[in-house]
Amino acid sequence: MTTTVTEPGLRRVERLERIWVEPRGLLGWLTTTDHKRIGLLYFFTTLAFFGAGGIEALLMRTQLSQPEEKVLSPETYNQLMTMHGVTMIFLFVIPMAIGAFGNYLVPLMIGARDMAFPRLNALSFWLFLASGLFMYASVFMHAAPNAGWFDYVPLALKQYSPGRNIDFYALGLIFNGISSTAAALNFIVTIFKLRAPGMSINRMPLFCFAMLAVSLSLIFALPSLTIDLVYLELQRNLGFHFFDVTQGGDPLLWQHLFWLFGHPEVYIIILPAFGIATSIIPTFSKRKMIAFPLVALAELLVAFIGFGVWAHHMFATGLPTITLVFFAAASMMVVIPSTIQVFAWTVTVALGRPEFRAPLMFIGGFIVFFVLGGLSGIMFAAIPFDQATTDTYFVVAHFHFIIFGAAVFPILGGMFYWFPKVTGRLYHEGAAKLSFWLTFVGTALTFFPMHIVGLLGMTRRVYTYPSSLGWDAYNLSETIGAFILTAGLLLIFANLAYSRFRGAPAGPDPFFGGTLEWATTSPPPSFNFPVIPTVRSAYPNWDVEDRRADAARLERGELVLDEGHETPASTVVDAVPDEIVEMPGESPWPLAVAVCTGLLFVMLLTRHYAVAGVFAGLALLAVAVWNAKEPQEQ
Amino acid sequence: MSAFSPGEAATPAAVARVERARLARPNGWWGMAIFVATEATLFGTILGTYYFLRFNNLHWPPPGVPEPKLTLPLVLTAILVSTSVPVQLAVSAAARGQLARGRAALLFAAVLQAGYLGMQLHLFVHDAHEFPPSGSAYSSIYFTMLGAHHLHVFLGILLILWILLRTASGLTNYRMNGLRATAFYWHFVNVLALCVLGTQLSPLA
Repeated sequence: MTTTVTEPGLRRVERLERIWVEPRGLLGWLTTTDHKRIGLLYFFTTLAFFGAGGIEALLMRTQLSQPEEKVLSPETYNQLMTMHGVTMIFLFVIPMAIGAFGNYLVPLMIGARDMAFPRLNALSFWLFLASGLFMYASVFMHAAPNAGWFDYVPLALKQYSPGRNIDFYALGLIFNGISSTAAALNFIVTIFKLRAPGMSINRMPLFCFAMLAVSLSLIFALPSLTIDLVYLELQRNLGFHFFDVTQGGDPLLWQHLFWLFGHPEVYIIILPAFGIATSIIPTFSKRKMIAFPLVALAELLVAFIGFGVWAHHMFATGLPTITLVFFAAASMMVVIPSTIQVFAWTVTVALGRPEFRAPLMFIGGFIVFFVLGGLSGIMFAAIPFDQATTDTYFVVAHFHFIIFGAAVFPILGGMFYWFPKVTGRLYHEGAAKLSFWLTFVGTALTFFPMHIVGLLGMTRRVYTYPSSLGWDAYNLSETIGAFILTAGLLLIFANLAYSRFRGAPAGPDPFFGGTLEWATTSPPPSFNFPVIPTVRSAYPNWDVEDRRADAARLERGELVLDEGHETPASTVVDAVPDEIVEMPGESPWPLAVAVCTGLLFVMLLTRHYAVAGVFAGLALLAVAVWNAKEPQEQ
Repeated sequence: MSAFSPGEAATPAAVARVERARLARPNGWWGMAIFVATEATLFGTILGTYYFLRFNNLHWPPPGVPEPKLTLPLVLTAILVSTSVPVQLAVSAAARGQLARGRAALLFAAVLQAGYLGMQLHLFVHDAHEFPPSGSAYSSIYFTMLGAHHLHVFLGILLILWILLRTASGLTNYRMNGLRATAFYWHFVNVLALCVLGTQLSPLA
């Protein structure tokens, strides 16, 4: 909004600032309900976990750099391998993409002043942090989970894993799941109900479609993991029988429920990356995404099909052939929505006037790795090939191309893309491009040779290997690649940290982005928009007249909502304004609930069930006190 | 601005006006709908496990474990499910502005529900003495399923008590949304009760 704001407009903005101000300092961060601050809390927390997961990966790569290496003991290797998987999936990629990017951007992109349930949003973060600390406490007690991130029984049963390791895993992930469920629920309601007037569902940014698909997946996928983990804990600690054949149980029950969650989870990891790609590509190609409705549907379809393919993780477990064939065919179907998107991304770039700045370069890397990882993925749908390569490094290569190359590259590109919005400053373009090449080469060098050693017969999860099998050179190059990759990542964070303080001022819209987050100042004010924007297309910030109309409405005081802590709520499909919702402000109670829940899980871990009940009661009480403060009634 | 209904309403009559003017369901209703969706999946998984284990076993229940009782669970569930009527009456009364009548209906429902839960817990403990959950896969899933169900009934009762407490000082738009969400949850718990009962009694078929 470049139009100069006059006296009545300024007075309204000042009033909004007074209404939406939060306490300063530490107290402000502990009690905040501002989605942008919660997004930043998520960002820095997940970054710390990313560091931990990265160090674990480097230690493993050092151990595997040459045959018969003795850097790590087998037990330590198992713990590092498990924690690496758990950390990267549950404590980095998902919370980074959904918690940090989603939280910061979704309300801005839909023209809202906050999430639908701001205190629940704060609770999601504190529960996430507490669950992460809970799981990492195991590392300091030398009892980190050690049965792999998939935690197969019978290995994970008490007879074979008597320590607390597996209990940390099971309870930690149940805990983490509560946070994710709350966050997903919040996103769905926010996206359904808080869209700016005129933003009918077909005008919603593709990033928000991706977040909607992810949130729906979480809502329907997490329960099967939670229940699976509850069964595991009941069997480990209270003598129930779910997974042992002697008493009528079945170890495959674990795998079915785990992958019924686990495969949707893969798409939960990758979908935000699609969303980020569909944000960056139009901006730097200077045109709208082609096939917009198809891409939106493809995002939702990927999430949907994800629920029908879980048994392709179990092709080697002896399921009936008819089952295998069904799941192989279902897995092939994923190709269709994926290809629609790859086509749309590449053709949008080709038909536009692409400007290859760092964010778009990361998206280019993303497309490369997504296609390569996708191609090796299709190979697994061929049942005999899968049975030959299962549990080899070929699988590790495939899913790292997807989960690192395809899922994390857009996150890195997105960090550069939205950095000016969050900080108000520009990053260093040259260093950013250099860091792209380092991470790109590092990723290829780390994970590509894994395909070859996998086909040569190197099995997953081994802590070392003998020489003379012809694997040595590949493994060494993987380790070198991992360190190049680390250098690239460190350069990214150094660039961002430096630019945070020394970068050139960015202004509200340095890249001429099409979505609403670019319509407000950088960084956005606590109330996001001085006036609730109205929307007529999927790229509302390119509708220059509408944005001028916003400025005029600020002068007139229309849709400013400067009389209370308010945001408009709309109808679900057409976004017809329906009511003004009084939003709750800062509250210490979400943190209190999270602390009580954390202590509840500690008590479950140490098997003090009565005390655990007390903390459950306290958590409920804290929820009650939190709810006792109602929106001010007239 | 005229498109908006008023954000708050503090008198029953004003609440009734907002209820009539509303174009879409409120945020709270949607929040509850999504919560119910994830809870339904949770129960789907538990019931799925029951049948998965059942078809893995030749004898279900295994030898030495009594078959589930028929009459008492049927009667108890019928009583529980019937409480959906007063709960829904409470919602429509409150939406018309008749708060006192709505609260009375809620209280009546809560008493019946608490009675149901008490009886069920008694049965649960009795069963656990007869065939403990650590005895077999059958008893493990039997007690897990019933335990999860009772926990949900308990949560539902807590929500109803909470909304009774909140509406003691009058009805507002915000509380009306809470009442609707609570009723939604309660109907869902009753649907679950029917699914759980059907599964629990399935060995008799």
